[in-house]
Amino acid sequence: MGTAAEPSHEVEIPEYYEHSFWPVLIAAATGVAMTGIFLLLKGLVLYAGILMTLSFVAVIAIFLYSDTKNWSAALSKFGRIPRDTVIGGFPVDISLTIQIIIMTELLLFGGAFAMYFAIRLRMGVWPPLGTPILSDTIARVQTLILISSSILVEWAIYKLKQGNQKAFRAGLIGTTILGAMFPILQFGFEWPHLLLENILTPSTNFFGATFFLLTGIHGVHVVVGVLAFTYTDIRALMGQYSPKNHGFVEATSTYWHFVHIIWLFLFALMWQGSRLLI
Amino acid sequence: MKLEDFGTFVIFTAVYAAGSLGLPKLHLLAYQLTVGEMAAPFVAIFGMPAVFGLTLGQFIANLGFEVAPVAMLSPAVSFVGLVIIYYLRKTSAIGGCIVYILLTSLWITFLLPQISNVSTSYAAESAFLEQTLAVMIGYVGYLIAKRTMANPNVPSKSH
Repeated sequence: MGTAAEPSHEVEIPEYYEHSFWPVLIAAATGVAMTGIFLLLKGLVLYAGILMTLSFVAVIAIFLYSDTKNWSAALSKFGRIPRDTVIGGFPVDISLTIQIIIMTELLLFGGAFAMYFAIRLRMGVWPPLGTPILSDTIARVQTLILISSSILVEWAIYKLKQGNQKAFRAGLIGTTILGAMFPILQFGFEWPHLLLENILTPSTNFFGATFFLLTGIHGVHVVVGVLAFTYTDIRALMGQYSPKNHGFVEATSTYWHFVHIIWLFLFALMWQGSRLLI
Repeated sequence: MKLEDFGTFVIFTAVYAAGSLGLPKLHLLAYQLTVGEMAAPFVAIFGMPAVFGLTLGQFIANLGFEVAPVAMLSPAVSFVGLVIIYYLRKTSAIGGCIVYILLTSLWITFLLPQISNVSTSYAAESAFLEQTLAVMIGYVGYLIAKRTMANPNVPSKSH
């Protein structure tokens, strides 16, 4: 029998605030690590530099360990699929977090591209005379890899929303494998080819300097994305995502898409741009 | 546009930019077809993220070609055409595609003689036929996708 005043169908999710010391600790560790890297690069107090850099790695490792609760218990059940269970899920909406991250990344790449265009506008001829025409075969493969991985991760999320954990995990792991191929091609094949055969180096000219700076920054971001996806994979294999709890997957995919879009600009400006003379 | 739509936006950007920069142009009946233009009818399915994505994709592709400063206005023209496809999606997707073809063809007819040594009549003919062929191929793809796509009504995430 129905009641006259039925409750609203909308489920109200209580806000959850977790007072955490981790943001402050990670920020401090980042500062210590930056100082350590500075000491290392300058060749000053090497041991202190190494220790300071490693302390950052240790803080991040402990954070990930404590964040992903019940690792040992979950790993002992490895292979089983706990449906709709949430073990150590993020209790708060992290969409704002990823928006802030994307904004800071926009500032970083915006500054880097502004530098590129500032240099380019001051040059009479671009690319400068003597710049080799770069083969774009690897870059085309990398573009294909990024498009495929972006589509695959969206498909994986779609499958998760449908409750298909198996397809979700397959899609996520596939994305990670595709993503890992990108830096392998860049740092394992293209850069050694350009640098060791003296085709293009940072000291060749301004084009070489901007090429290695921009593609280097981007490459590091791809590596970070692959690491984030690896972590996401581990949590997915532990059954920590459900159709209603997959904020970290969305955040990781958003970061990945952002890295992808930056690549498209780089591909247009660096590889296609190396063929032009203005 | 929601954060969840960011993926769709980027995929459409990539389809246009990489389709224009990374793939050779498709040759059909002596005409060159831009792969990215084939994605235009899919705006009727994927909505505004696809509109913004294709517009940015065209901007990036033009950065790579760098034909002339005036060509950088092309994304704005395409944007208007894509928005028309989006708003006509429920009444007549094909109608929106025809408006898009006419609008972009007119723009290319104006643009081509300015950036290359071709006559206006040749520019008009090639622009209209190339745009029609590309968008109609895309429209066939849109019809197939519309029929085969599963119901997107899936639970939304809470975290």
